[in-house]
Amino acid sequence: MTDPTKPKNNRRSAIAAIVAGALAVLTPLGVGIASFLTPLFKTKKSPKVRVALLSQVPDDGMPRSFPVVADRQDAWTGYEAQRIGAVYLVRNPGEAEPIAFTAKCPHAGCLVGYTPGDTVFKCPCHTSSFNLDGTRVRGDEEVSPRGMDTLPVELKKLSGDGDIEITEIHVEYIDYQTGHAEKHSTA
Amino acid sequence: MPDTSSRNGLIPRLTDWLDDRAGVRDLVNDALYESVPGGARWRYVWGSTLVMAFMTQVVTGIFLWMAYSPSTQTAWESVYYIQHEMTGGWLLRGIHHFMAQAMIILLAIHFLQVVWDGAYRAPRELNFVLGLILMLIVLGLALTGYLLPWDQKGYWATNVGTELSSLAPGVGSEVKQLAVGGSSYGHHTLTRFFALHAGVLPGAMVAFLALHIALFRRHGLHAKDKNYAPDSTFWPDQVLKDSVAALGVLAAVLGLTVYYGGAELTAPADPASPYNAARPEWYFLFLFQFLKWFPGQLEIWGAIVIPTVVLIVLFLMPWIGKSKAGHFFNVGLLVVIIGGAVALTVQAINDDYYASGFTEEEATALLDSADDADNLAKTRYEASRNFLDAKDQAHNEAHRVIELASSPSKTPPTGALPLVQNDPYLQGPKLYKQNCASCHNYQDLRKELTELPSYERALVNEEPTAPNLYGVGSRDWIAKMLDPKFVNSKHYFGYKDSPFGTDGDYPEMVDYITACFADLEGEERKAVEEAFDKVAIALSAEAKLPSQVEADKQDAKLIQQGRALIEGKLADIVSEGMSCTDCHTFGEQQDIGSPVLDGYMSKKWLSDLIRNPADERFYGDMNDRMPKFAPHDNAMLNQLDDKSLELIVDWLRQDWYRPEKTE
Repeated sequence: MTDPTKPKNNRRSAIAAIVAGALAVLTPLGVGIASFLTPLFKTKKSPKVRVALLSQVPDDGMPRSFPVVADRQDAWTGYEAQRIGAVYLVRNPGEAEPIAFTAKCPHAGCLVGYTPGDTVFKCPCHTSSFNLDGTRVRGDEEVSPRGMDTLPVELKKLSGDGDIEITEIHVEYIDYQTGHAEKHSTA
Repeated sequence: MPDTSSRNGLIPRLTDWLDDRAGVRDLVNDALYESVPGGARWRYVWGSTLVMAFMTQVVTGIFLWMAYSPSTQTAWESVYYIQHEMTGGWLLRGIHHFMAQAMIILLAIHFLQVVWDGAYRAPRELNFVLGLILMLIVLGLALTGYLLPWDQKGYWATNVGTELSSLAPGVGSEVKQLAVGGSSYGHHTLTRFFALHAGVLPGAMVAFLALHIALFRRHGLHAKDKNYAPDSTFWPDQVLKDSVAALGVLAAVLGLTVYYGGAELTAPADPASPYNAARPEWYFLFLFQFLKWFPGQLEIWGAIVIPTVVLIVLFLMPWIGKSKAGHFFNVGLLVVIIGGAVALTVQAINDDYYASGFTEEEATALLDSADDADNLAKTRYEASRNFLDAKDQAHNEAHRVIELASSPSKTPPTGALPLVQNDPYLQGPKLYKQNCASCHNYQDLRKELTELPSYERALVNEEPTAPNLYGVGSRDWIAKMLDPKFVNSKHYFGYKDSPFGTDGDYPEMVDYITACFADLEGEERKAVEEAFDKVAIALSAEAKLPSQVEADKQDAKLIQQGRALIEGKLADIVSEGMSCTDCHTFGEQQDIGSPVLDGYMSKKWLSDLIRNPADERFYGDMNDRMPKFAPHDNAMLNQLDDKSLELIVDWLRQDWYRPEKTE
């Protein structure tokens, strides 16, 4: 006869208890984690944005800063025509098309600055500096792991009032991962 | 067992009842009458002050929670409301802010003492590990809290932090997305950070603190010197010392709060407007500086590998410290870490404030130096100058945004950012710099250059090719234009090769004004001056500047006289025998080829001029230098959009919201 005061060493009960208990506790946790992971399942597209007119970027090789204005969605809020970033456009002498650099520093994502007349771009955070062609001034000595990121540029011709022909500069505003030597889109 | 039969008072009976049901006497005895070997000492207060600091954070945090709303349109706004409109809100937030900093210092002291005294040795290893976990939780609270006001400072500093997390090998990008709650900062960054800051981390803190204290009680106090004094008990001797220390900490925190007027709130976060003075809080500054030492590909060492290795070594300290040599290693390592952190912090601050040690002359001398040996100093100076200017500007912006948010119309439902983006005072200078500053100057001539704040100085163009636009249309501005001393200067029309001049000479306006005053002295000169003063007042009234509404009303008569002079009477007074309308159109008098004076510098006039200076109402065919910023009806074809144009015009006319002066 077994002693009723002694607990039964019932392995099946123990396993069942653990499984049932774990299910009860972990199911809500799993559901929570799934919703927490939402950002990983959302796909993102890089917007193509009109940033300037070609006439605003003379071919003097000097960078000019333009805001990037696009519709933006932040969770439940839709923003119309928001400034989502900035680009520098540089048109070298004789070139028809400007080069577009995103102002986001490839090091840690600060906005790289440029003072008109300077020969370099300077990041205010960790003092990275870049030549006007986007390369790093001190090469691998620079804290930034790569030069400034260029963005795809497209020129679109519009007919203006009368005979005037107007060319718009469109840029695909790609958000690149920072801190790596290679360019990877975050999308 | 105490004899309870003789106790009749209410309190003893209640205590007995509670003791019977919950055993409170044992609990209280355990809590209060713990032995303190060697007697109560000041050196034992640090753990208790940390508990007090945490309790303060819980209490102030809960009250802040009652007023805080985490979303990109309400976070800054609700913190603004706490700071500026709630009774004692600034004090509440200030205590929370400065106590967080005090906690970091107390933590460092507590930690240093434990290692120094070897208090991590068996059987206290586990408690040391728990302590380190608590330290990480506190750092996590500090990091997450910095973002919550959603102001420029917190936004940009935290941004750098989360960008760095994307360095983590393999999963970096995913880690960042999960922390940020999406691919870029937004509502979910705030909701996540807030859940961590007010829920997950404090919860973990309470749990680990309970374990930490339970183990501490189990092992007893690690006495530095058991024979220092007769043994004593926690209550009341040590509690007294702990309480006095806690009060001291609170006094310091209150002192800082009052001294600084509470915690800073900079302008609302604007993803499109960089904050060049973004720096982490001072206790993370050493990490920020540390990163500068790791160029390019090596960054992962500075940002992740070395900090992780250091952390692992810290966790292993109790085992390393088993031997005497190991203990010395631990103490040495800690001294190196803390010394290094202090040195890096000092270096970071030095870098940022380097330029503030220069006088105006020294700075000019340095920047003009051709010596290559000065290049490093030059770079340092410029980086520091940029930081200081950005800080200045940020203060100015913060002040302005708070002025706007305090206006009777309050903040719109879309949040405070539109207030910033639609404010001529804040946006004007930026748009001006982008579109106008390469030709024009903007400089208050009533002040010395060195008197101007850095954000106004940034608008000064020392070699302009077009007029100074400061105070455009005002009486002073027009009076100077009609003054022979000024009209020929770079601030007005002192430019040769003007299409309005003949043979590459100055424009006719310069000749006219110069001639009107030529060889005049005494009464004659005074009469001409008076006439031009009236012309200036009348012409300036055309601008209808908000700052001159009162003056224009008062001087109606002078304006009437001035108008008559403009329309022809001036010709009778000046030797040139010409008045304004001999070249310009004004009222009934029509003339083309020079800018129309009706509505001169009014909102519409100025806006039309910028849209198309080659319009016949302005310079017509003579316009040889000013771009047409918005000549087309279709806004998409224009260089300048209508909103930016309006902001520039309003800013130039100093037409922006000014708070009512309260008496």
